[in-house]
Amino acid sequence: MQFRLEKRQEPSQLMVYATPVAAVLLTMIVGAIIFSLIGYDGIGAVREIFLTPLTNSYKWQDLGIKAAPLIIIGVGLSIAYRANVWNIGAEGQYVMGGLAGTWVALATYGMTGPWILPLMILAGVVGGALYAAIPAFFKVRLNVNEILTSLMLTYASVQLIYYLIRAPWKDPMGMGFPQTRLFSEAARLPTVIPGTIVHLGVPIAILVAFVAWFIMSRSVFGYQMKVVGAAPHAARYGGFSESKTIWLAMLVSGGLAGLAGILEVAGPFQRMVPGFPTNYGFTAIIVAFLGRLNPLGVIFAGVVMAITFVGGEVAQTTIGLPNAATGIFQAMVLFFLLAGDILVRYRLRRVSSIPASGAA
Amino acid sequence: MPHRLELTGITKRFPGVLANDNVSFAVRPGEIHALLGENGAGKSTLVKMIYGIMQPDAGEIRWNGQPISVANPKAARKLGIGMVFQHFSLFEALTVLENIALGMDSKIPSRELEARIRQVMSTYGLLLDPHRTVATLSVGERQRIEIVRALLLDPKLLIMDEPTSVLTPQEVEQLFEVLRKLAAQGCSILYISHKLHEIKALCDTATILRGGKLVDTCDPRQETSRSMAEKMIGAGLKDIVRAAGRSLGEPKLVVSRLSTVKTGHFEVPVDDVSFTVRVGEIFGIAGVAGNGQNALLDALSGEIRSDDKNAVAIDGYPLGLLDTTGRRKHGLCAVPEERNGHAAVSDFTLSDNSILTARDRLGMVMLGLINSGAAKTYTGKVIADFAVKALGPASTAGSLSGGNLQKYIMGREILQKPSVLVVSQPTWGVDAGAAAAIHQSLVDLAAAGSAIVVISQDLDELRALCDTLAVINMGRLSAARPVSEVSVEEIGLLMGGVHGTAEAHDAVPA
Repeated sequence: MQFRLEKRQEPSQLMVYATPVAAVLLTMIVGAIIFSLIGYDGIGAVREIFLTPLTNSYKWQDLGIKAAPLIIIGVGLSIAYRANVWNIGAEGQYVMGGLAGTWVALATYGMTGPWILPLMILAGVVGGALYAAIPAFFKVRLNVNEILTSLMLTYASVQLIYYLIRAPWKDPMGMGFPQTRLFSEAARLPTVIPGTIVHLGVPIAILVAFVAWFIMSRSVFGYQMKVVGAAPHAARYGGFSESKTIWLAMLVSGGLAGLAGILEVAGPFQRMVPGFPTNYGFTAIIVAFLGRLNPLGVIFAGVVMAITFVGGEVAQTTIGLPNAATGIFQAMVLFFLLAGDILVRYRLRRVSSIPASGAA
Repeated sequence: MPHRLELTGITKRFPGVLANDNVSFAVRPGEIHALLGENGAGKSTLVKMIYGIMQPDAGEIRWNGQPISVANPKAARKLGIGMVFQHFSLFEALTVLENIALGMDSKIPSRELEARIRQVMSTYGLLLDPHRTVATLSVGERQRIEIVRALLLDPKLLIMDEPTSVLTPQEVEQLFEVLRKLAAQGCSILYISHKLHEIKALCDTATILRGGKLVDTCDPRQETSRSMAEKMIGAGLKDIVRAAGRSLGEPKLVVSRLSTVKTGHFEVPVDDVSFTVRVGEIFGIAGVAGNGQNALLDALSGEIRSDDKNAVAIDGYPLGLLDTTGRRKHGLCAVPEERNGHAAVSDFTLSDNSILTARDRLGMVMLGLINSGAAKTYTGKVIADFAVKALGPASTAGSLSGGNLQKYIMGREILQKPSVLVVSQPTWGVDAGAAAAIHQSLVDLAAAGSAIVVISQDLDELRALCDTLAVINMGRLSAARPVSEVSVEEIGLLMGGVHGTAEAHDAVPA
């Protein structure tokens, strides 16, 4: 008995959109079973991770501020991935965006004026884009795999934070803690809902997603990304340069990761700290795929992943689940999603390996 | 004596199509039996069931009188059914012997295998050196490897799928000799083709399929090519209508000393090609596949840009340095050979595929935004004018049959009214009815004052369509001659060039 994957004539459109939902449901079911088997309250874990953040209105603001960076980075990645440009280093570009913005904040320390924050945001976008330009350059010039270079640059960026906050940018009043000083008032992101921690980054994330959706569906730029990804040969025939597309995809995804980075520094952190890299850049990869590489889908996917972050913290305190459980649940979502995608495009057919009979 | 192979009521259904509907026919021992039909008529599906790649939904296959079910190709080979596919599965970097050894179901010592190969080759007059690397062989020689591979199993039935589409006329004649010898020794041959004169020359019986149904079983020697073609398409065949007494005008497209750089390992580049196409002229480029046609098309369309601005010029305006977009703006449109993934994107709608090449010439873009309404309107016009069988502009390109997609692609370029159109294999894999429509539209475009270049491996097509003919061999182009002044033999010799025929004679079978 053998099984063979057979390409389906036409993948069902309904299933393409049902797969992410099914992936999340499967994650909940399998997660409950696994955690029960290793001696935790499995059903409780799933409830705390997936439902508590939704039912407890106090957690909604947490969801918003966790989802915002995921959505911003996820939108950028969904654009790059459409073009088959595999930027895996969004985490590094997020860090560099944060550092570039921090540099502006420290350089303008003590100053006031409405220009400081926009300047920081601009620096963040440019910082992320420039960091993504390195893999783009090597890909276009030397055909170096961008997956490797962008990923490895992430680790370099984290070391750069450690260096900067231990030496040149160290808070002079910080009693030796490795962190920068708290930004001045003008360099902090304002909250948009009084009395909460929901900062300006949340509406910016929604805006970014809608603008990206419009550009991807209506503009020549979006068409170029899609056609280069779907059929590079046809793209060349249509007059779209592959190198230019790689540059654009890298700069846009890097720039958006940088934007998420500076919003995160200026919003929740308000200073650069060693704990700044929180894997948003990696989780956003799942967000991009879960959102079907569609900027509007990314909004929902970002919220789902934010739920697992917030819920993971809840489960840590309430039922003592280890922090790594969040990662396991997130990885399961991606796993089931990719497996589901295979089955949407292919059907599993049983092939008998019995040789022909009746000839003799 | 029972029939070698007998099919009764074979039916195969795919989602949305009935590929074979109650097909019955029989093949006698030693008979050369043609399976004739347009693309999509169900020929491939039928032979795939005989060869065990697919299973019929209903009906019976009898082998030497016994009902059988063929579970897979290995079982088919065990029964004595061999098949030579249209697309070869050979490793270019390995030798002939190594390729054959890899394809055998049972492991045979290489010395013994070589002896058997040499024996088969000398029996059937197949000239080939077992130690040559496949990459150095012509297409005709590669096909011989596949035939030897099938013959080593001592088949009682050999299925040949469109075997001559890549051969020169001389190679076709050599192939026919081999097939006749095989048949004389009692091996039945199921010969799939849509080239009617070949079937008349070779086959004893022809079974004609249309839309999955058996239309007729006839003796091709008693039929005319035209009568078989009409049975195949189920309607009267239209001739190409040309305006009488038309004359060719001023030079329109001038290509001078165009060369490309070798990129892929086995890719043949264009080597110092020059030619001129005049207003109203259809210029044909013949040649065996893999002689630089792809590079030439890319170098003309702008996918490969030249270093010399004068390498390609329209009305004296140099286009050599421009990319495809730039050349299209100056009136040069092109259609590459490969439809899926090159001329069209399968996952995109037809409307989006129109944006691929027509966006600038037809004003589908404003300030970087796509006017999808304009793309949709234009696509609707292409579908209507070229009788493309599609649900509408929102159908994906991948959902169309090969012939319909080709009609759409040709329509998409022709309706842009290019002043120069370069097409490669315009009717490759397209049924006779659609091919006639495409030919007519090319003739009409030329009559309206465009210059047209047709790159094709189908000599019949080129001779019917073109005013002038040149042959490409190993990236070099022969001198252009008026089509009325060259014979098939001359073209065949040019197509063979130094590559192919001469080298084949060096390989002495043991």
